[in-house]
Amino acid sequence: MKGIAKSLMVTLSTFTRKPVTRDYPNYHRPLPERDRAFPLLLWDKEVDEPFCTGCHACERACPVECMTVLMKDNPNHKSNGGDSSRRKIIDKFWIDYARCMRCNICVEVCNFDAIAMNNTWQGHETSVHDRKDLVMDLQQLLAQSHGGAIKEWVPTLGQANE
Amino acid sequence: MVASPQHEFETQDLLINVGPQHPSTHGVFRMVLTIDGEVVKDVVPYIGYLHRGAEKLCETMDFRQGIGFMDRTEYLAAHNAELSYVMAVEALAGLEVPDRAQWIRTILCELNRLSSHFMFLGAFGIDVGVFGTPFIYAWREREAIIDLFEEISGDRMMYAYFRPGGLAWDVPLNFKERVREVLKSTRQGIKDFDELLTQNEIFRARTEGIGYISAEDAIDWGMSGPSIRASGVALDVRRDEPYLKYADLDFDVITGENGDVFDRYYCRLMEMHESVKIIEQCLARLEPGLIVPDKMPRMLRAAPGEVYIRTEAPRGEYGIYMVSKGGNRPYRLKVRSACLSNLQALKQMSVDQYVADAIIVLGSIDIVLSEVDR
Amino acid sequence: MNNSLFGFEINVWLDALARLGLIVGVMTVVAMGLIYGERKILARFQQRIGPQKTGPFGLLQSVADAIKLVGKEDLRPNAADPWTFELAPYFVFIPIFLGFVSLPFLLGVNIRLFDLGLLYFIAVSSVNIVGWIMAGWGSDNRYAMIGGMRAAAQAISYELPLVLSLVTVAMLAGSLNLKDIVEGQGTVPYIAWLPLAFVIFFISTLAEMNRPPFDIPIGESEVVGGPFVEYSGIRWSMFMLGEYASLWILSVLTAAVFLGGYSWPFGEDLGRGYQLVLMAAKSSLYIFVVFWVRASIPRLRIDQLMSYSWKILLPLSLAQVLVVGFVRVYELPDIFLAIEGVFGLIILVSLTGRAVASNRRLPGAARTMRSEAA
Ligand code: SF4
Ligand code: SF4
Repeated sequence: MKGIAKSLMVTLSTFTRKPVTRDYPNYHRPLPERDRAFPLLLWDKEVDEPFCTGCHACERACPVECMTVLMKDNPNHKSNGGDSSRRKIIDKFWIDYARCMRCNICVEVCNFDAIAMNNTWQGHETSVHDRKDLVMDLQQLLAQSHGGAIKEWVPTLGQANE
Repeated sequence: MVASPQHEFETQDLLINVGPQHPSTHGVFRMVLTIDGEVVKDVVPYIGYLHRGAEKLCETMDFRQGIGFMDRTEYLAAHNAELSYVMAVEALAGLEVPDRAQWIRTILCELNRLSSHFMFLGAFGIDVGVFGTPFIYAWREREAIIDLFEEISGDRMMYAYFRPGGLAWDVPLNFKERVREVLKSTRQGIKDFDELLTQNEIFRARTEGIGYISAEDAIDWGMSGPSIRASGVALDVRRDEPYLKYADLDFDVITGENGDVFDRYYCRLMEMHESVKIIEQCLARLEPGLIVPDKMPRMLRAAPGEVYIRTEAPRGEYGIYMVSKGGNRPYRLKVRSACLSNLQALKQMSVDQYVADAIIVLGSIDIVLSEVDR
Repeated sequence: MNNSLFGFEINVWLDALARLGLIVGVMTVVAMGLIYGERKILARFQQRIGPQKTGPFGLLQSVADAIKLVGKEDLRPNAADPWTFELAPYFVFIPIFLGFVSLPFLLGVNIRLFDLGLLYFIAVSSVNIVGWIMAGWGSDNRYAMIGGMRAAAQAISYELPLVLSLVTVAMLAGSLNLKDIVEGQGTVPYIAWLPLAFVIFFISTLAEMNRPPFDIPIGESEVVGGPFVEYSGIRWSMFMLGEYASLWILSVLTAAVFLGGYSWPFGEDLGRGYQLVLMAAKSSLYIFVVFWVRASIPRLRIDQLMSYSWKILLPLSLAQVLVVGFVRVYELPDIFLAIEGVFGLIILVSLTGRAVASNRRLPGAARTMRSEAA
């Protein structure tokens, strides 16, 4: 009986505490900058083109093979009178968000810091009627970085910070 | 009509199918109970609904890619699962892990043990029949720990944070304060559970003496973790074969005496106190330093050979048997899952108990189906 | 023969119909309110927010649920017995509904006051178990059947203590008319004279309503909703309506029989407004405690439930009847009853404690210290 009374007291004390749950769609918890949602491509604001050169490194390293990369000659390259130093640039890029397992490997292998994991609340609502809608193309992958929404945190592998 | 003496009462055993969609089978587990009235006569477990071939898949993946799959074999304690895997790779590749990385790994593994045990307490509370309250309490405490993991590794469940040689990247600068904050709420959470369940007479009546398994039988079934310690076998890989920094740490191995459901529950609760103790010791000794070896090879290659690494995951001994023929991927990988071995004893523990008890016996061995089926 | 309803003289049958219609309407609204209240209150016990999206503070949640349930397809398993299956909800619902007939809500606000009101109430309120068994048997589902059998066993065992504790009240009041019983408590509510009977009554009502810790027939984690497992849509909602209506009915009965109804502590001369507030407060107190118990206490097992009733509650309530009879026959002062009640309570508590007492050593008390050598 004593124990039952004690249980009742615990729940009663919880009754007076503030609720810990949050009203999710109306309230978005601030995310840590390391947060890893799905991968996104980054936009080089200086020369106004994607960082990605279409080097296929991420495509080869992806464990679930959910990326498709096609490259092309950069029309904006210096030799063509442009102001970019990239000889090749990304032409088409697809990431199948339905298959991606958010392992961060593509970010780690990219030599151009051209891809990053999304650390904002945008792009989390992946409920769609057709799985094909989860295959993101280049425009969709670049949109957030282009709009300046994502906080940049490209992890430096193996570096101590203290 | 005169009934013949033999056929005066004819009763029939009833087969009931529990799962794979049943609120208390902890995932997609199915067992067929043969019941006589309310008493269980036979249990036939069926597993394999969550089999994804993680071991075979990992043989086609290089070592870094495999980590993500290891997370998914044991989603409630992914740090512990990763740990066995990366330790196996380190043993084959001959990597020396720096001190700081080891301390951080120890802290994260123990935190993961806490979060996993909270999950157990919550689910077990529901099995015993408290309407949701322990579950939400558990979720509340686990949330604090998971948030911390998110700040460190970026993901809430599938961390992919331990890497062969050390860690993926360093912990944030306010790591120590954040861990201390989390521990504070954790202690409160453990206390809440202690008061809500342990002392409760109905809870005691429901759990004591149920699902008994003797020390000998537990050893014969190959059980491990809190499930075997509750039977009085002081088997703990952390103490018996210290890995990481456990040799330098002072902690107790909690053993029960009765080998019943209550002891399995209480061992876990007490283990959480020990985990808190371990984390505090680690925090005091955590110093700045490297998190991957100085001379980390650019291309990770394992020497030919084979290795078996076992670590103490929240549910018991999580072992990785890895065969390498050189190159950057395992030739053969086998996961020794604690849950699978613990589950074998289910029949022995639940026969001749009431139906309601069979449910809490299943709850008390704390299975994670993804680890059973891999 | 005419009767007055709100001051109008109308035919007695019309009058009865009007009152019944009123009750059905009010009952539905109250049940919806109770569902909302339960969800909100349980949420607070678990540090959650509870329903909040439908209407202000989620007030319209029950309405939304009702609309959803009514809109759902009314499924019937192929193998189910059509008549038994489809009639079962009515057999659960109608007896509960009939129970309202004799309840004294406020002074002069009731459907009919019988001289044998209490007896009538007891008689009709136990009929609904037929519906439970029909639902369990008719759905051709083994979970449902186990649930139905459990419900029957439970109802039989807890009916006796419930009735016996009401008998003591009737003996004290010298009447079975609920109005007289309420009036008899003008100065002191019967809970003061009969604390033991009140506690036994409270425990038995929990079992009657199949509320935790006695929710064995519908135990979510074991028999997945018991007899209701195959029901959907409107029939399922009738069960739910019945459940909450019986919660309301029993709360009103408790308030009237033990807590002094509308007459204590201000007498019967105050206006209906005060009486309404008084009754509402008393019955909500009862309802709150029921929710509170639900949030904190594990479920009993079927054998523990039965033995608790037959071995502890029943003898104690029989003894209580004897003592009340003794006191009445020899015209001893009522204070004897209170003393006996407190004494009986102590016996009840100690017996309950004894039934589950455990003085075992907890795991961790015998801690295995880690050896430095290891
Ligand atoms: S996060 Fe991993 S799975 Fe996803 S696209 Fe990148 S490499 Fe592939
Ligand atoms: S994202 Fe990086 S690794 Fe992938 S194709 Fe572009 S540049 Fe290469």
